[in-house]
Amino acid sequence: MKIQENLRETARKLLADGEASLVIGYAPGSEVSRVVPAFISREDEVDRLVWNPLCINNLAKYLLDYRHEPGKVAVVVKGCDSRAINRLLQDNQITREKVIILGIPCPGLINPDLVAARLDPGAQITVAAVSEQDFSLQTEEETFTFTRDEALLKKCRDCEQHTPVIADFMLGEEIPPNDPADPFVAVKTLEELPVEERSAYWDKQFSRCLRCYACRNVCPACTCRECVFDQAEPCWVAKANNLSENTAFHLIRAFHVAGRCVDCGECDRVCPVNIPLSLLNRKILKDIKDLFNVPTPGTSLEELPPLGAFTKSDPDEFM
Amino acid sequence: MKAYTITRDNLGAWLDALARDYTLIAPVREEETVSLFKPVRGFAEINLGYTNSTVSPKGWLFPQTEEMFFFSTGGGQITLADAQTPGPAVLFGLRPCDIKGILALDPVFNGAYQDCYYQKRRQDTILVGLSCTRVERHCFCTSMGGGPTDGGGADLLLTEMDDGYGIEVLTPRGEELVNRYQQYFDADRENRVIPAREELGKKLAGQFTRNVDTTGVKEFLDQHFELPYWGELARRCLGCGICTYICPTCHCFDIFDQSPDGELGVRSRCWDSCMFSHFTRMAGGHNPRPTQKERVRNRFLHKLKYHRDRYNLDGCVGCGRCVTRCPVNIDIRQIIADLQEVARHD
Ligand code: SF4
Ligand code: SF4
Ligand code: SF4
Ligand code: SF4
Ligand code: SF4
Repeated sequence: MKIQENLRETARKLLADGEASLVIGYAPGSEVSRVVPAFISREDEVDRLVWNPLCINNLAKYLLDYRHEPGKVAVVVKGCDSRAINRLLQDNQITREKVIILGIPCPGLINPDLVAARLDPGAQITVAAVSEQDFSLQTEEETFTFTRDEALLKKCRDCEQHTPVIADFMLGEEIPPNDPADPFVAVKTLEELPVEERSAYWDKQFSRCLRCYACRNVCPACTCRECVFDQAEPCWVAKANNLSENTAFHLIRAFHVAGRCVDCGECDRVCPVNIPLSLLNRKILKDIKDLFNVPTPGTSLEELPPLGAFTKSDPDEFM
Repeated sequence: MKAYTITRDNLGAWLDALARDYTLIAPVREEETVSLFKPVRGFAEINLGYTNSTVSPKGWLFPQTEEMFFFSTGGGQITLADAQTPGPAVLFGLRPCDIKGILALDPVFNGAYQDCYYQKRRQDTILVGLSCTRVERHCFCTSMGGGPTDGGGADLLLTEMDDGYGIEVLTPRGEELVNRYQQYFDADRENRVIPAREELGKKLAGQFTRNVDTTGVKEFLDQHFELPYWGELARRCLGCGICTYICPTCHCFDIFDQSPDGELGVRSRCWDSCMFSHFTRMAGGHNPRPTQKERVRNRFLHKLKYHRDRYNLDGCVGCGRCVTRCPVNIDIRQIIADLQEVARHD
């Protein structure tokens, strides 16, 4: 709760001093298990801001919507989301001087489905606390406790950086990296299957893709002014929804974000038909790490993405 | 109308028979939390325990991609050939909200404008409804004039009972289907089916977590096109196609040609979405809905006003799909409540 107070105070001050014209954070959603991205520009709205273990959306990409506005925009980021800030800075999508980064050291999030299953949807969370063992959510009526074992979100189990890698204000105490689970277990298991089985696995996944492009629209690595998938002329991928075009869509997207995917897990979260996109993007991430021995993209502002950097000493003749 | 009962074993046998004689489209469980309507080969593939499919079943009548005709331009001549149509089909296991969704599509494709593709599929498809046995947390069909056991619009309505299923015949076409497979059915001699369904309906009516009051919302929107509210709402919208693609009543499409050599090709139509920035972009680059604000407003005006203006039907049947799946919690139930609030302060 300390963090939530810090957040509100910092936001209030930034708006009052005219330092920021907008603060992008989280506010309660339409039901207890959800929060919404909130866009706060007035001091009297600051108390809508919340920080709790349901704050899952990566807000970094919204910075693109305000890049041409005169004032500075403050944005709330967790560890994973903060890599997206570096990503956008490296691609010159945003300017460092125009953003104020409100970093939150994040101990991990709760699976919203479990919250939805136990709490009355109309309730409001008044106090949220996370300890080494459990999450506790207090409403006006009751306190609910979930053990971390049962309730920790999958992506948080292998979290690399709980503490944001870039921030102007750090709103809580640093949380050291705590021996994360191997993020590539699922990739390795799939890699071991015979090629026909792997192919059948992806065919099954891709054939139900709706091509709604939510995965692209939410992605901080997808920032093209005109995306290939929206181009009618030349038509790289047809609008037709079938396995062949869907596969083309997925492979092209995976390669376009290769070396730039910050592994924030948003594409995986938003997919309405639960296509395991993190598995696809982590396969490439794993290969890139194996080949170039680099950290996850966005970890440091200085470390340029291996597929986007250029050195004269590159042993490949093509360069 | 008549009612019958069918045992669980006979239901399986009947569905196997339907799969042999028709294209049978039924709910299938794909992953842990995904269920979809798909063609099936028999009962074994069907999951009747689903509450609400992830994507609505409209795709059988209005496919995401539908071939319209083939063309060839060889020898200076243009020749056209009809695309294949699937023929007689049974769309099985429709929840009441999705039946209402089809009724909302009918006047669009089958009213003043006759869309031959939809019309053909609609004519060839028998609709078998299935009363709900559970209310999902985002369901609000009762607020939109429907109900979990209200199967009006289907040809047959199934309702789960203690010892099998009850079947109500709602149309002559439904009657024909039952007659064709009468070996599987028993007449409802003790008149149990309708009371059982009504009982279930009453029980479920109390399980809705949120009721929505739409009173006056349309009338308010009639008078107010510009509202700052839409701009605020649109800030968080990702402009993706989730809400429109999974919705049982959304029906925007786009037409395109595919031809590898420019001579032989196919013209198809494909779902499109008013939430996409390209949807209204014109050839010269002008876009009459230039920002997400206009797009979000369009979607909700369509649901809450335009469909009623045009067809006197709600454009939303309260299935709750968009509520469940929108990644940024744009929740039509909340929007209706917010609009009530905006109207109060007007
Ligand atoms: S979000 Fe899922 S369904 Fe939508 S385009 Fe991406 S993979 Fe396909
Ligand atoms: S591809 Fe997915 S995980 Fe990677 S940056 Fe984009 S949204 Fe995040
Ligand atoms: S996939 Fe590539 S082209 Fe498409 S939006 Fe992302 S970066 Fe742009
Ligand atoms: S309302 Fe939600 S589902 Fe619909 S386009 Fe916006 S973000 Fe996507
Ligand atoms: S607008 Fe949402 S709740 Fe209404 S019918 Fe469409 S998907 Fe269902």
